[in-house]
Amino acid sequence: MTTYTICIFTENTIGLLNRITIIFTRRRINIESLTVSETERKGVSRFTIVIKHESREEVEKLVRQIRKIVEVMAVFGYLNEEIVYNEIALFKVSTPLGSKPLDVETINQQYKAWVVYWGLDYVVIEKTGNDTEIFEFFGYIKQYDILEFVRSGRVAVGKTEKGLVEYLPESEWAYYL
Amino acid sequence: MEAIASIAPEVIETTPSVSHTVPKLISGSEALMMGLVAEGVDTIFGYPGGAIMPVYDALYDYQDRINHILVRHEQGAGHAAQGYARMQSRAGVCLVTSGPGATNLVTAIADALIDSTPMVCIVGQVAKRLLGTDAFQEADVMGVTMPITKWNYQITNADEVPEILSKAFYIAQSGRPGPVLIDMTKSAQLELMTKPFVYERCQSIISYRPRRIPKQEQVEAAARLINNAKRPYVLVGHGVQIAKAEDELRLFVEKTGIPVATTLLGQSTISTDHPLYVGWLGMHGNYGPNVMTDQADVIIAIGMRFDDRVTGDASKYIKQAKVVHIEIDPSEIDKIIRADAPVVGDAKEALKALTALVQPNDHTIWRNEFRKYDTIEYEQITLPELTSTEGKIRMAEVIDMLSKKTNGEAVLVTDVGQHQMMASRYYQFRRPNSLVTSGGMGTMGFALPAAFGAQVGAPDRQIVAIIGDGCFQMTLQELGTIVQNKQPVKAIILNNNFLGMVRQWQQLFHERRYSFVELQNPDFITIARGFGMDGQTCEKRESLSDALDTMLNHDGPFLLEVIVEKEENVFPMVPAGASVAQIRLK
Repeated sequence: MTTYTICIFTENTIGLLNRITIIFTRRRINIESLTVSETERKGVSRFTIVIKHESREEVEKLVRQIRKIVEVMAVFGYLNEEIVYNEIALFKVSTPLGSKPLDVETINQQYKAWVVYWGLDYVVIEKTGNDTEIFEFFGYIKQYDILEFVRSGRVAVGKTEKGLVEYLPESEWAYYL
Repeated sequence: MEAIASIAPEVIETTPSVSHTVPKLISGSEALMMGLVAEGVDTIFGYPGGAIMPVYDALYDYQDRINHILVRHEQGAGHAAQGYARMQSRAGVCLVTSGPGATNLVTAIADALIDSTPMVCIVGQVAKRLLGTDAFQEADVMGVTMPITKWNYQITNADEVPEILSKAFYIAQSGRPGPVLIDMTKSAQLELMTKPFVYERCQSIISYRPRRIPKQEQVEAAARLINNAKRPYVLVGHGVQIAKAEDELRLFVEKTGIPVATTLLGQSTISTDHPLYVGWLGMHGNYGPNVMTDQADVIIAIGMRFDDRVTGDASKYIKQAKVVHIEIDPSEIDKIIRADAPVVGDAKEALKALTALVQPNDHTIWRNEFRKYDTIEYEQITLPELTSTEGKIRMAEVIDMLSKKTNGEAVLVTDVGQHQMMASRYYQFRRPNSLVTSGGMGTMGFALPAAFGAQVGAPDRQIVAIIGDGCFQMTLQELGTIVQNKQPVKAIILNNNFLGMVRQWQQLFHERRYSFVELQNPDFITIARGFGMDGQTCEKRESLSDALDTMLNHDGPFLLEVIVEKEENVFPMVPAGASVAQIRLK
């Protein structure tokens, strides 16, 4: 199974998430993670969807089916080595009075993670990185009592120079600014 | 490795802008009417109900400009709009209420999507404040129709009407045509627009740019393959007729001398008696065209999508051939069959460009190879079916006689099943756009309302519906619509008291275990008369000719029931999952 990251640029309209995910459902492709946000251009959203699949050919077909949706402007399918990508994870770790103190230096220096909130008897640590790095940190921090753990979907940008603007005619940029 | 990319091609403008400005403020419903008029809509197929009543109220004032046809069931509205769209080559329009009105339309929408028929469906919805509350006659029509529409949109305020309506028509009718649905809340129908009504026909959408003109390098690559081919073979789908490229196709094949076969929906693109036409492809298509697919060295597929009814087992299909695939929908390229030379664009433009680059060639020997299979099919199937003197009338005889009596110039609108395949096998099409059938969806009940819609869309053409006894009972209430609107639709029921195609499969693949396929039929002619339609039953071979004459010469609609052989099978046949080379003659 190969991991593919599908980046979809769309107009920002109601119901589009459904229209896109239906295409995955119909083809029985499981979505590993999904992130949506507005891009640098007003009214243009970027979906980042991670899937695993055995066949590149099937992923190419999927990309073309997504492109068929009227509100979709461009779709890219990437392999991991073609993108810079990250996720963010938050760990809520129990720190009651008298418990083993956190080794903040190791957390910062070795794992590049940061305490972003101090509660009365817990802290929240933020760790960004790819899934391997996040789970390495998980392995380390689980010696403390993890009260909550949450991971975001992947965000990714392609390593090539091409960005969205390459695929919108220049005369129409103003439409989105 | 190169990133997989699918990006928007450049925009191509074709239609001029039409602008209508009205100074006074009007309701959403009236805006809808004005928008429809601005789009040139002259006919709507619909059924009123609670959540669409403001629109119907506005329609009352537009009766002189828009002909509304009251159907008997919303599915009938959808199929009638499909028939109309196929004849007019522009969007058929349906107007129905919320909840059950909309869900009744769903089958026709799905049918239109898979057969690329342009349709604009306007659906009532509960008031905005009631959305999502399980209000009376509320259904999530947006969710339901998302996978079966080319585009859908929910209008929740009146100001949106002009822009959304123009987008709907543009999307439905451009690129690969398809159904579009507008879900309009009752509040948006009632409220006044806050700005003057201005209607501009949509000409482009930033994220939607169908490519009409193919890239020259793609055409050149295709031409190179075709010019070097020893055994080239053209497969024509519905896309050629959608693009109105019948003449361009004829010029292309006549210049190159390449034999042509069509898919089910591609039939009538080229006259059946054209010397380069070899027949039609698919599960019940002709023998030669199917077998020879496996012997071609270059396949030129135009406006077709390699449906599984055409390919049989796709893993064994045309492994020996290079494939040129001309198609306006890029997502169809490489979807089922890998294309060596894809040409993305409108069939008309692509064929024009390609014809300029191909060389005349002598393919007589290759073409003649098809003929030996034609002879086998003729001797083993066609001749016995057309000359039988014993037993009941056979479906083939009816279609063959109809073909002769109408000189192959009628529009056949067929339902789904054995009669559909027989109509395709035995009707000799002489004019383009002469077969309207439910291909991809295989919707029983399609023919009667679609024939009505086709007659409204093409009043000058002879429309004949070919219907099975099972299919007829799915939408027979539309007899009422036909009579009320005085449309001279002729309908032939080929009655074998069976769900014939299912029975055939049970006979061939389920050891004759006829599980729930025999029908106890009503007296169809009495039913027709009950609706005010004339009709007659024909049981005897010797009276078939007179019965057909009576039907064709009748002034107004007519129902002819022909009692046909009960357990007749349609051959040739490619069994499901087999390769096309495994086509059976018995």
